[in-house]
Amino acid sequence: MTADRVLFDAPGPRARRRIRVFTVVSVLLFVLLVAVALRQFGQHGQLAADRWTPFTQTSYLKFLWQGLEGTLAATAMSALLAFPAGALLALLRLSLSRPVRWLATAYIELFRSVPLLLLLYAFLLALPGYGVNLPIFWKLVVPIVMVNAAVLAEIFRAGVLGLDRGQAEAASAIGLRYWPSMRLVVLPQAVRLVLPTLVAQLVNLLKDSTLGYIVSYPELMKQGNDLTVYTHLLIQAYLIIAVLYVILNFALSQLANLVERRMRRRRIQGRVAPIAGAADPVALDAPVA
Amino acid sequence: MNVVLSHLTDLLAGFGVTLQLTAIGFLGALVLGTVLAVCRVVPIAPLRVLGTVYVEFFRNIPLLSLLILVVFGLPDVGVTYSLFTSAALCLVLSGASFACEAIRGGINSVPIGQAEAARAIGLTFRQSLGSVILPQALRTMVQPLTNVFIGVALSSSLAAAIGVAELTNRTQQLTLRYAEAVLFFLASGAFYVVLALAGAGAGGWLERKVAIKR
Amino acid sequence: MSSTQLRRGGKRGWTVVAAAITLLGAAAGCGDSPNAPALPGASGGEGYDALIQSAPVAPTSLVDASPWASKIRAQGNLRVGGTDAGPLFSIKSLDNGELTGFDAGLSQMLARYITGKSAVKDLTTLTITTVDTREALLQNSSIDAVFATYTITPPRAAKVDFAGPYYESGDAIMTKKDNTSINSVADLNGKTVVTEADSTAALEIKKFAPNANLLLFQHDPECVAAVQQGRADAYVLDQGILVSDASSNPAVKVVGQPFTHEPYGIGLPKQDPSAKQFVNAWLQTMFTSGQWAKLWKATLGTVVQGATPEPPKIGSVPGS
Repeated sequence: MTADRVLFDAPGPRARRRIRVFTVVSVLLFVLLVAVALRQFGQHGQLAADRWTPFTQTSYLKFLWQGLEGTLAATAMSALLAFPAGALLALLRLSLSRPVRWLATAYIELFRSVPLLLLLYAFLLALPGYGVNLPIFWKLVVPIVMVNAAVLAEIFRAGVLGLDRGQAEAASAIGLRYWPSMRLVVLPQAVRLVLPTLVAQLVNLLKDSTLGYIVSYPELMKQGNDLTVYTHLLIQAYLIIAVLYVILNFALSQLANLVERRMRRRRIQGRVAPIAGAADPVALDAPVA
Repeated sequence: MNVVLSHLTDLLAGFGVTLQLTAIGFLGALVLGTVLAVCRVVPIAPLRVLGTVYVEFFRNIPLLSLLILVVFGLPDVGVTYSLFTSAALCLVLSGASFACEAIRGGINSVPIGQAEAARAIGLTFRQSLGSVILPQALRTMVQPLTNVFIGVALSSSLAAAIGVAELTNRTQQLTLRYAEAVLFFLASGAFYVVLALAGAGAGGWLERKVAIKR
Repeated sequence: MSSTQLRRGGKRGWTVVAAAITLLGAAAGCGDSPNAPALPGASGGEGYDALIQSAPVAPTSLVDASPWASKIRAQGNLRVGGTDAGPLFSIKSLDNGELTGFDAGLSQMLARYITGKSAVKDLTTLTITTVDTREALLQNSSIDAVFATYTITPPRAAKVDFAGPYYESGDAIMTKKDNTSINSVADLNGKTVVTEADSTAALEIKKFAPNANLLLFQHDPECVAAVQQGRADAYVLDQGILVSDASSNPAVKVVGQPFTHEPYGIGLPKQDPSAKQFVNAWLQTMFTSGQWAKLWKATLGTVVQGATPEPPKIGSVPGS
């Protein structure tokens, strides 16, 4: 984690001066580039006020808000189902019995390789012919859960395999059998190891919800598409949608990190008092991406 | 079924474009991702900020948004790229953010003693990173990078939304002509599964090769 | 990054987010601007509602005779496959969420004919369909009818039934305002032509200008932007939509006359042949009573120049 602090010496006065000069020059260049781009943009009339003000109207904002609600609802339900399902699949793949392992592996390999688009079409077109016609919300959520459970299973499995062997050995040394040792010793630590990747996958889950238009589910991307048709303001609508998504995903990952830090602090406070002068407990963990 | 077989050449041509997009996207993402990972590690503040902002932005923006902004927004800023170039560019930009995080995770997973030892024997930043840290980091990097490959391969299907004549786009055009949606989508799905499994297989083989045999 | 750095980075990020939200909130306080882009031909509102509500209701015996119609009456509304982002034909109003347009209006009138209801919002339930999903959704009974500028073609007629045609349109060409080299479809050879991925125009262009370089995008505004930015030389699509686009965009123009013949039909499930009979009979009454012409005037007629066209002859097209 602090390898980046160790790899180079603290910069001396000349190096510091060089860095300062480089910083100033690069910032100036960047500002120049942005200014040129904005001027070009403005010359094509894209910065005109009447292209941007329509988006401040309450009806448009309400329209976008409905899309946001749809996105959040689909993401929340998918996450609630996919994470436990992924953990379960990972455990099944690490099972001691060969047929169970084989089945779990087959599922994971298949659903990791299928584009979500395809699965959504299957639920929309093929399955109703066999009597399985789910409501629109579930037509979006179930395929997302199926695909993401497979991806999450691989992440959990990587965590379990990446954990120091000593932990599992110590667990069996004190008499725990396979599943109790997995449950009490290995899995909690493995989850903590891959937590940043799990948070990243949560963001991917939200981006998966942008395919909701295929099953007619009203979410933010579809509302954005509709706005471009209503207003003919292509760039403005898509820029606003892009910014909204970036803010949304950023907020989501920060929220997840906050929850994770709270959990860890509570756990540490409950047990061992930190040794005076020891490194920050956070630093000992896997890198926070 | 016959209609699919008779248009197999069409689908294969589309698959070829998908392969090109995937190859360029993944290799570009690797190169740019390494550069960004190094940026996030050097002592120069603006480079660290650039790396962090880049990763945060391109990880959080949906690929579809990015594609449309590049294809329709950039011409108004002065640069117009062909559709294929735009798609490849977006895949590289987006994939690089994930690749950067994978590489950084790999670097950070190397025990700190290695870096300290490298410095202790007098290696410079470039030498310690290149000869000591990165080769060991490779072990931890392989699995996340495989995921980046699969991500790039499957998201190349979004290039159909901006008109690139790759597999999904051709499938849509054939469906338009023959109205056999399910069959064509099953066929194109098979191609994607083959591609992703090949990537996962290669990743698994590489992982086994660099694993420490205890 | 240490925990303090992460927290600082997170705090910085949150400051940006907070600033963005305050800006948005302040801007929203500006209320409704009078410069809202008006939707040509799809203003909905009371005149449109009154038109739908003036449409006739079927006698109960007619509905009883058709199992398809009886089921719809029992449901209480018509499950329609179409779009809500198609200018002039089927577009949702942002203010009240109501679906308006030529296709939408016909579907609402048909729903009223069968169920007898008056509230326009309750008449139909829309499922978004695309070229890939239309036939399959009709076949597995997820929807009752398709109103989606659905061109009647024999291969499609093999999978679904078509009532109509209910409108005969044609594809036209849009170019940049200062482009003088393209005046008809023959000039498209060797040029880059853009159209919507979902439309039959893609196939028609191949027939009329086999050497044209074809580009496909997903939505109408993207195709217009492609022409405006020089990515494509021409945009080919249904004439009504192109004229509506050109009327709000001074940088492009529509050239020549429609060069294809696009008969639009109502997609119906093949499983129940009574559906096609029922809807064709209803269409005929719409034509003769003048309702069809009134609807045309209220929607397409607001942009397409010329007098109201004659309604097409039902069953005149192969496949209908």
